[in-house]
Amino acid sequence: MAANGKSNGKLNDLAGPSLGGKAYPIEDHHYDVIVVGAGGSGLRAVVGCSEAGLRTACITKVFPTRSHTVAAQGGIAAALGNMGEDDWRWHMYDTVKGADWLGDQDSIEYLCRNAPQDVYELEHWGMPFSRREEDGKIYQRPFGGMTTHYGKGTAQRTCAAADRTGHAMLHTMYGQALKHNAEFYIEYFAIDLIMDDTGRARGVVALNMDDGTIHRFTGNMVILATGGYGRAYFSCTSAHICTGDGGGMVLRAGLPLQDMEFVQFHPTGIYPAGCLITEGSRGEGGYLTNSEGERFMERYAPSAKDLASRDVVSRAMTLEIREGRGVGKDKDHLFLHLDHLDPKVLHERLPGISDTARIFAGVDITREPIPVLPTVHYNMGGIATNYHGEAVTKKDGNPDSVIPGLMALGEAGCVSVHGANRLGSNSLIDLVVFGRAAAMRCAEILTPGEKQPPLPADSAEKALARLDKFRNASGSTPTAELRLSMQRVMQSNCAVFRTGDVLDEGHKLIHDVYDNMPNVKVTDRSLIWNSDLIETLELDNLIAQAVVTMDSAKNRTESRGGHAREDYPERDDVNWMKHTLAWMDDKGKVDIDYRPVHTNTLTNEVSYIEPKARVY
Amino acid sequence: MVELTLPKNSKITEGKTWPRTSHATHVTEFKVYRWNPDDGQNPRVDTYNVDRADCGPMVLDALIWIKNNVDPTLTFRRSCREGVCGSCAMNIDGTNTLACTKAIDDNKAPVKIYPLPHQPVVKDLVPDLKNFYAQYSSIEPWLHTTTATPEKEWKQSHEDRAKLDGMYECILCACCSTSCPSYWWNSDRYLGPAALLQANRWVQDSRDEATGERLDNLEDPFRLYRCHTIMNCSKACPKGLNPAKEIATLKKALVDRQL
Amino acid sequence: MSGKHTNEMRTPMRRVRGLGAAHTGTGHFWHQRVTSVAGIPLTIAFVAIIVALLGRSHAAVVQILGSPIVAIIMLLFIINTVYHMWIGMQEIVLDYVHEDKLKLVTLMANTFFCFAIGLASVFAILKLSFGV
Repeated sequence: MAANGKSNGKLNDLAGPSLGGKAYPIEDHHYDVIVVGAGGSGLRAVVGCSEAGLRTACITKVFPTRSHTVAAQGGIAAALGNMGEDDWRWHMYDTVKGADWLGDQDSIEYLCRNAPQDVYELEHWGMPFSRREEDGKIYQRPFGGMTTHYGKGTAQRTCAAADRTGHAMLHTMYGQALKHNAEFYIEYFAIDLIMDDTGRARGVVALNMDDGTIHRFTGNMVILATGGYGRAYFSCTSAHICTGDGGGMVLRAGLPLQDMEFVQFHPTGIYPAGCLITEGSRGEGGYLTNSEGERFMERYAPSAKDLASRDVVSRAMTLEIREGRGVGKDKDHLFLHLDHLDPKVLHERLPGISDTARIFAGVDITREPIPVLPTVHYNMGGIATNYHGEAVTKKDGNPDSVIPGLMALGEAGCVSVHGANRLGSNSLIDLVVFGRAAAMRCAEILTPGEKQPPLPADSAEKALARLDKFRNASGSTPTAELRLSMQRVMQSNCAVFRTGDVLDEGHKLIHDVYDNMPNVKVTDRSLIWNSDLIETLELDNLIAQAVVTMDSAKNRTESRGGHAREDYPERDDVNWMKHTLAWMDDKGKVDIDYRPVHTNTLTNEVSYIEPKARVY
Repeated sequence: MVELTLPKNSKITEGKTWPRTSHATHVTEFKVYRWNPDDGQNPRVDTYNVDRADCGPMVLDALIWIKNNVDPTLTFRRSCREGVCGSCAMNIDGTNTLACTKAIDDNKAPVKIYPLPHQPVVKDLVPDLKNFYAQYSSIEPWLHTTTATPEKEWKQSHEDRAKLDGMYECILCACCSTSCPSYWWNSDRYLGPAALLQANRWVQDSRDEATGERLDNLEDPFRLYRCHTIMNCSKACPKGLNPAKEIATLKKALVDRQL
Repeated sequence: MSGKHTNEMRTPMRRVRGLGAAHTGTGHFWHQRVTSVAGIPLTIAFVAIIVALLGRSHAAVVQILGSPIVAIIMLLFIINTVYHMWIGMQEIVLDYVHEDKLKLVTLMANTFFCFAIGLASVFAILKLSFGV
């Protein structure tokens, strides 16, 4: 759905290199800002850039309200203090602790300080938050790891629209984008980044799935808001579209991804479907039990119990199952109880998961427990950025060297506010705070209508070669088969608990899958809505990130947040208080280097939070 | 006039019957609409035998199984697979619904799958929803206010917030609109149940200050009043919403402001 | 005004906004409900009157239909029903007739027909009442 024919594109018949005996005609579009992805962070950036008078294109492979933000349930964290005293510094402390001190504290300060105003902004845009009965203010619920007075009390900080917060937020933001007449290119699949010789990102090449035409978008800023790569795993709460396309593009451009070993398992994915049951269900009073009916979280996290942070709960659950206290025929899952809660509360605050549990587990949550299992949920790692959203890399010894023309947001990025483990409800706030920050940065450093230097002659060649290669791929292994083998390796060799041996084996296995990619077989040769081809391009993005994840995990010999090594059970701040940066070449060889964790804060209103033991 | 006969190139022909996998014991037959814009052929209905031992419980699982194991060219939209994104809306066994939340066993075999009715087809089960989305945009789905924006949130009573329940949950899957005969005949001028439900979501929002203008924009023999309370929309909605009731609320508001 | 998706080069929004909202329709919607409600007692009365007329002589029929109360009920019934029919038929035309000229002709024909039927029926009752 091209944006109302307003593109300044003209058809360059001869611009496309002749590939595979066929030339792909290219249509050109010039903008100030190119946003790839229309989830929460992409839309926030689009709105912000449009407001700033920058001509902005948003390229998305699905209609905006189908983006995975729509599936977020529990809420969006901000220290509004509607339910009792709260302070953004406490939010910051919780986030730092949740991140197991791997988060950059300048970014975390930026996040927590700006969170309230960004939630109010969403409300002003019309987001249908649940309300307090007393005074009509936004309702906030308790969430895992969210405390008051630096860990002493339980905070009610997570603003919610029942258990459909992401849905409410995404629809609100899409409305706002419509209000600003944002230019969308819907069901356009971004094939690759355009980088020039100076290392500057110049745009993207995309395939319009609707009619099979190729489009080259150029701008002075490319913002990747392409989400996570949860589908690298066999069982995940992520949508089918979560294939980390931005991460794939960045790796191919010879740039690194950061902290990829940190993969969050959500404690309560429905067994076996994998659909998400919000942490808000435990926030509202739900609890987990094992086969003996015991509330086992009391043993693992005496004070926070079921509301400990997600990595802690997921590990506890995995141990319970491993020690034979799982439920079900194969003793391979656990129960989440909500049946003790008032059905009226369930109906008002958790209506969505009531439906989900009924449809996918056949369970009436007012009477029976839900079968649940830790399920891959979120990638803390991604494209390293500073708190303006600008992508950074380590170059000539400078660990904060900005990659000109490139930004990354949301799950695709790694501002590193989530460090080694993200707290529930911190991702939605991450989307809006840094989406807005990126737009503000664009407004600051770009001039509307600024002339763009000429593109390199072969700007589209790499992307078209990639497209053509897969379109005509006639190997022996179908995409689905390769994808399944990747997912199985990741699921078994890079899970909640990791050991050196398992990771070594995983390293070998995942590289085998990677090496098999040239052998992929695509059946559909068309260009219009060729989902066989799109899934293959997505698999190509996934496998690269799977390889990097495995190798980064193998490399980090400590336990921190979502990365739990049984052979190195302790956090090692002396050697590992640093971000992993991983590059991958086209042979699949991974190079690893490090960036220091930012220990500075932005203002004097808060000081650096020193590492200490992480107990919930 | 209403077209009662199909144009020649849209007559559906018998398609291919794909061989069943040899080891499958429990098999369900699927008949799936196929149309490829590239080959110049009429649409056809292909038959697939899905190995239920190897496949999840939902219709979407079956489609993915077919795509993964039998025919990678089969094309359909899908994303969240848990009924919140609205991508996989299609006509299953005669009813518009989401493939991801519709259990295979809730259908009579063979399970017949077609794209959403009365929309242009892009390919196979992928309809062109541009008109549907434009209709949604046309109701201006954002908060309109003129009063100075407060420092914090707009207050909203618990009761006023409850008025949005049953509307804000809409996932824009288009199941309702494309099940409505009025929409079939007049989709160019009738907004359809989804857009009207969304319109009422903003009309009912206690924070919105443009209620009158919103109603003005709807007061039209076609935009609103092609609804004849046929109720297919409410029957189809996979989220259990009731667009017909919301449309009735709009009509009542329009009467109320005259009396 | 045409019901066809005429021009692919037009944006979907242009098609959706079309000529804008007509700001009418509520009157018809409301009148259709009012005439429906009024139609219930009037139809019952009408049927009762017809049943009462069955088997009677011409003179008796003329006398009953010409009596003030019956005549007024009959007039109300006719006006109410014809108006209801006029709106209803217009709705059906708008639903199904999409070709511009045919639609105008059909809408006019509907109006003429309803007007003629209504006027003729009213005239008949009045003639009986006033015995002209």
